[in-house]
Amino acid sequence: MAPPLAELSVRGTPVHMLRDGAGTPLLFLHGAGGAGRWLEFQERLAKAHTVLMPSHPGHGGSPAAEWIDHISDLAFHYLDLLDAERVERVHLVGASFGGWIAAEIATMASHRLVSLTLIDPVGIKVDGWIYPFLFGMDIPEVVQTVFHNPMAALALAPPDQSPETLALQYRQGTALARVAWNPYLYDPLMRRRLARVSAPTLLCWGAHDRLAPLHPCADTWGAAIPGARLRLFEQSGHVPHLEEPAAVAEAVLDFCRSAEGAR
Amino acid sequence: MKFYYFHLMPYPMEHDERSSWVTLSNRFYDPKQGQTLYNQYLDQLEYAESLGWDGLCVNEHHQNCYGTMPSPNVMAAMLVRRTSRAKIAILGNGLPLRENPLRIAEEIAMLDVASGGRVISGFVRGISAEYFSTAINPTHSRERFYEAAELILRAWTEPGPFAFDGKYYRYHYVNPWPRPLQQPHPPVWCPSQGSSETVEWASKRRFPYLMVFTPIKRIAQIYAEYREACERHGYTASRYQLTVNVPIVVAENDTKAEALARKNTMWVFNTGLRMHPPFWRPPGYMTEASLRRILQNPPPLPSDLTFEQADREGYIVYGSPATVRDKLRVFSDQLQAGIVCSGLNGGSHEGTLEMMQMFAEEVMPSFREDAEVDETVGVGR
Repeated sequence: MAPPLAELSVRGTPVHMLRDGAGTPLLFLHGAGGAGRWLEFQERLAKAHTVLMPSHPGHGGSPAAEWIDHISDLAFHYLDLLDAERVERVHLVGASFGGWIAAEIATMASHRLVSLTLIDPVGIKVDGWIYPFLFGMDIPEVVQTVFHNPMAALALAPPDQSPETLALQYRQGTALARVAWNPYLYDPLMRRRLARVSAPTLLCWGAHDRLAPLHPCADTWGAAIPGARLRLFEQSGHVPHLEEPAAVAEAVLDFCRSAEGAR
Repeated sequence: MKFYYFHLMPYPMEHDERSSWVTLSNRFYDPKQGQTLYNQYLDQLEYAESLGWDGLCVNEHHQNCYGTMPSPNVMAAMLVRRTSRAKIAILGNGLPLRENPLRIAEEIAMLDVASGGRVISGFVRGISAEYFSTAINPTHSRERFYEAAELILRAWTEPGPFAFDGKYYRYHYVNPWPRPLQQPHPPVWCPSQGSSETVEWASKRRFPYLMVFTPIKRIAQIYAEYREACERHGYTASRYQLTVNVPIVVAENDTKAEALARKNTMWVFNTGLRMHPPFWRPPGYMTEASLRRILQNPPPLPSDLTFEQADREGYIVYGSPATVRDKLRVFSDQLQAGIVCSGLNGGSHEGTLEMMQMFAEEVMPSFREDAEVDETVGVGR
């Protein structure tokens, strides 16, 4: 069941946010197409944490924000959101595009993070790999690239083909393209900066990711973030939190628990 | 009415690939064949001047078989030296596609000076697929267009050097040599598919508006919006601000013309504009308002357009000289368009030359009440 919707204003930028659960706060940053989708993964996290799941500006119910030109704008936006919510420290979890934003936040403000979990993130230039260009693909090709289990894609399928739905999809694509068209899905400056990440970091990776494959992408992330741990999900492509939600949620909950214990 | 000869310079091939744009492999392009085609096409444009056409049009498209002119300025340069009277209309340069748009100001000025002031400078954003070919961010397209246009217009009209500090383009020294010959600058045209934002922008500046490959009903609607916008800006649009681009086929009789149109003209839509669907709609290329306008009344994909629909809705003009004259009366009298830009296609080089001659001798003379008028006076600047 979808939790109640909160409508916030973060430094004047309106944000739609889902919030549920009880426990230490956990901020989940969704990937492209994931806005407002409160699914099994989020349900499970909310059993142990207060889960905050905002929609990025221009995604889901959050209106587009013209000032957002660069991935760091989104990172600052979420630091502002934590301030607005008076959350001092947080477990940060980001998937795919949300993982890119989360990693950017971690390079800026690791001291605000109890733990960092990146699920098949994009965002860095990986030597020997060029991310397949999703903007040039039709829906079947996108599904083929993103999902190992295509049935999992149904969870993100649009409800209809109404003008309203098509306009929303166009708005979401536009918001993504503003920060991710070229360079495509990465910030050339970020890989080197990942050495600054001091929060305990978990990399969750789908063994069959075709957008950002384990080799060489996860290898590169693992080498770039000091002490990062890697968990592999054998039945997943690029979105293990949709393809194996129970297993990924368990891994994240374990990791958050151990990070809290280590404080 | 004025007549401009419009050339796409296609690479007319049949293929089973899903897209004629962006991904159609250039291994299909035979440079020897290309040499023949380029020279035939340039011959046709030069012949058009000698037959009485008022202008010759070239245009920019990338990575496709629909139009093989990635640099229209190169083709314009060849025409400048081989013609002496006709306007040379570059329709246009894709401003946002350039990393250094000052280069456009320079190249157009070169052409204008060398041609003795015969150049018309189209400003376009480039069609959707161009953003895949050039990797320019389509969400920046509109802002880059306005900014580059401002830069170019200032570079032509303000004594240099001056500094320009935009969001996308920044220069400490804007001071192009040469300056254009036409004053204050060559006429600027806005070829477009009818977005309300472009109508507003062009009408405010008296820049002629060119509708490309659009059904007549939609042309009428956009023309009305443009004229209304001109009134709002305090002047009445000249008919030479309203230009239409429509393919024409003329032959001895309607039956022969129809056969040629079915075969050759429909290639432009059905094959030339066949496109992998995502290439039609890159994110942010149009505003959400424009998208919603299209969704309310979605036009057919060119690759799905049938001859019957193209005929019924006025995407094409074909027939005997008498029929073509009647059909063009709709543009001249009802739509009050001042300029018709058309390419003719006779199926072969010789067939095209014959068709051009027939058009020039049997159609054009009926529309020459304005033969003595210079269509560029007071418009486009």
